[in-house]
Amino acid sequence: MTPEVTTPIVQICRTCGGGAPVDVHFCPQCTKILTLGRQGDYFSFLGLPRKLRIDAAELERNFRALSRQFHPDYFYNAPPAERRASLERTSYLNDAYRTLKQPISRIAYLLEREGMGTVSAEREAGAAAQVPPALLEEVFALNEELDEVRSLRAAGTPDAEWKARLERARTPIDTKRDEHERQLEQLSDRWDAAVDGNAAAQERRKILESLRDRMLERNYINNLLAGIERELST
Amino acid sequence: MSRVVGIDLGTTNSLVAFVKDGAPVVIRDKSGDALVPSVVSIGEDRTIYVGREAQRLLLTHPTRSVYSVKRFMGRSADDVKGEARMFPFRVGTGASDTVVRIGLGEQEFTPPEISAFILRELKRRAEEFFGAQGEIDPDVDRAVITVPAYFNDAQRTATRDAGRIAGLEVLRIINEPTAASLAYGLDKRHTGLIAVYDLGGGTFDISILRVEDGVFQVLATNGDTHLGGDDIDYLMTERVLADLKASGMDTASPEAVQAIRKAVIQAKWDLSDREDTDIVAEIPGTGRSYKQHITRAEFEQIIRPLVDRTLGPCRQALEDAGLAPSQVDEIVLVGGSTRIPLVRRLVGELFGKTPHSELNPDEVVALGAAVQADILVTGNREMLLLDVTPLSLGIETMGGVTSKIIMRNSTIPATGGEMFTTGVDNQTAVDIHVVQGERELVADNRSLARFKLRGIPPMPAGLPRVQVKFQIDANGILSVTAAELRTGIEQAIEVKPSYGLTDEQVEQMLVDSFEHAEADFAARLLIEARNEAESVITATEKSLRTPEFAEIAATELAAGEQKRIEQALAGLKHVMTSPNREAIQQWTHALNDATRHLAEIMMNRSVQAALSGKSVDQV
Repeated sequence: MTPEVTTPIVQICRTCGGGAPVDVHFCPQCTKILTLGRQGDYFSFLGLPRKLRIDAAELERNFRALSRQFHPDYFYNAPPAERRASLERTSYLNDAYRTLKQPISRIAYLLEREGMGTVSAEREAGAAAQVPPALLEEVFALNEELDEVRSLRAAGTPDAEWKARLERARTPIDTKRDEHERQLEQLSDRWDAAVDGNAAAQERRKILESLRDRMLERNYINNLLAGIERELST
Repeated sequence: MSRVVGIDLGTTNSLVAFVKDGAPVVIRDKSGDALVPSVVSIGEDRTIYVGREAQRLLLTHPTRSVYSVKRFMGRSADDVKGEARMFPFRVGTGASDTVVRIGLGEQEFTPPEISAFILRELKRRAEEFFGAQGEIDPDVDRAVITVPAYFNDAQRTATRDAGRIAGLEVLRIINEPTAASLAYGLDKRHTGLIAVYDLGGGTFDISILRVEDGVFQVLATNGDTHLGGDDIDYLMTERVLADLKASGMDTASPEAVQAIRKAVIQAKWDLSDREDTDIVAEIPGTGRSYKQHITRAEFEQIIRPLVDRTLGPCRQALEDAGLAPSQVDEIVLVGGSTRIPLVRRLVGELFGKTPHSELNPDEVVALGAAVQADILVTGNREMLLLDVTPLSLGIETMGGVTSKIIMRNSTIPATGGEMFTTGVDNQTAVDIHVVQGERELVADNRSLARFKLRGIPPMPAGLPRVQVKFQIDANGILSVTAAELRTGIEQAIEVKPSYGLTDEQVEQMLVDSFEHAEADFAARLLIEARNEAESVITATEKSLRTPEFAEIAATELAAGEQKRIEQALAGLKHVMTSPNREAIQQWTHALNDATRHLAEIMMNRSVQAALSGKSVDQV
């Protein structure tokens, strides 16, 4: 299924020194919890294929089952090394669960793992991101509209009037966002089909690049919408 | 093997519980009372009184007593400026940006120290109980302590410090609503979505949980750590004081304020089962009294804005959990303030369902804490709590803006990382400011700590890569580690908690705490006698105040019976404050005898009412 794995990755048990396959949580020899060292990724840790359309019920089920295996509550009387392993493994599980639960953070995580860089909205928010080419037209129109609204407001135009105008200016951006959501869903389906069909690396790369571009545009759109909200609430 | 307990360290009352044969039970005193009022009083001889006795001393010695200390946990003198005027004790002495100090008699204490007095009393109560059970080792040295879900890191740390000062190993800090859900989950193996609405003496929490396969998973939590019954009492007290002033009796002595506060609390309780009542108070030092009729509708109108303030957090928690109110299967009410009919009605309207409260809302949190303590020490795997961090964790970036590292409602334990570098050549240290909260600007969030990363190898600016790792543990408490990635050198981190205590301070406080005498054996026996007398007095006065009493007296009581009750009541009230334990016990006995028949009548009537209520439902 996943042909990338060419070299077997193993973890070493700190308790007995035995080896264990990656993404196994307890040592096959001595049954003790393994220190979190080398692991695959969030997908494999949670027992899921590296796909974007995941079975939500399966994610929840696996999350609960793994929590029950190594939550710190069950290691309170264990030796310090095992307690530490339990804390680290559970933290990693919780981070994995949170990331894979939402479609957007799932895509961002996949892109990161596939070497496509960081597309996290948090990181982008502060930086003066360049306008994505696909959005030039909308951004241009919106900025003009914002300028007008500001001068209307400065001239003492009633709130209702300029606010209505701002609401109108938002419509095309809203439409664009909905379109992006649809595109992200389509690309997610294409990615999953490529994984299932064992598609060539080049084909996969193209899908990932499209996903990355849509994600960056999405961040930009969200910033635009947040900007409009700020104007409306002043 | 020493025992472990679960402790609900409340704003108004505290309780201790333990697991007996697989089921949690609260530990009661000799008069059957589970609640230890969270009041601490100090005698002239520095003897510390906690609980009922301190509550009585609050009326006579208001400046030597402290209550609602939970509101001050983990806060600075600056934080509490606005709130301090609600309380008769001295608050907020000391530098404005350090941990707040509270005056108790001639001395000053930090909130964790005062909380430790309460914890020590609970520990003593539990040890006495286990000793009486014939346990070989009745010592209690480990506990799970609950906190409001919306408590931040500083408030949680302060609570853990209080446990340590009281000589307890704090096994775990858990959230009150989550503890309550655990207690509820015991008898019913249910699956579904639960909302726990917890309105206590000083704090409000709402938690949304999914329960499945014995896993209690919190999806979202929200709240207000400064909203509760206290605020209602304060509002009502202020009204009465204004009333008195208008009628030319301008008395705001601490004693008068406490007498009025006690009277409005009594009226508040009355209005939970009745449509109207009187606020009645003798004003100490004036020889005058105050009496004012109040209906439930009037009361509701006064407190409505406070109750409304709980609804915003409920909606936010639902939104964060991605749920509509109607999707919630069950609503559980926790905390004494949820006895107020208006609270029940508004919560019911919001969720479109009748909230339920089979378990005593005062006891359910301690029961859950005991269950969690049992899970931790026995490794019992039937149930598992998965809680979340209530507030986002972030660090200060350029321009005083918060950069979020761990988002609110993340399941804990959780980690987050951030890469730092240097701004000038050969810089060897970096300052990091950690905050908690949802606001964009650092100044609007809660400052948790400032860290100094030292020992960065001298390199050109921007070259070092210092990986800082934030870990929130299962208590919801933060720890930080850092390493420079190019050299692999672990960084020394110097922590300066913004408004907390250092480990050394906590250790010193543990040592200092032994200097404070607790009441000795004879004094304890007297306190116990007074506690019992007080509970009989309270029950009797409640019976006498019920609307149907006049009718019962006329039709069911024997001739002279009412008079005998009133005489015994007056006699007991008279000896209550004396140091004569035998007299108190004799009069308690007399009042018990005098009211036995009345108590039977009242009991029969309430059974009848319950039965007829049931048959109506079944029709």
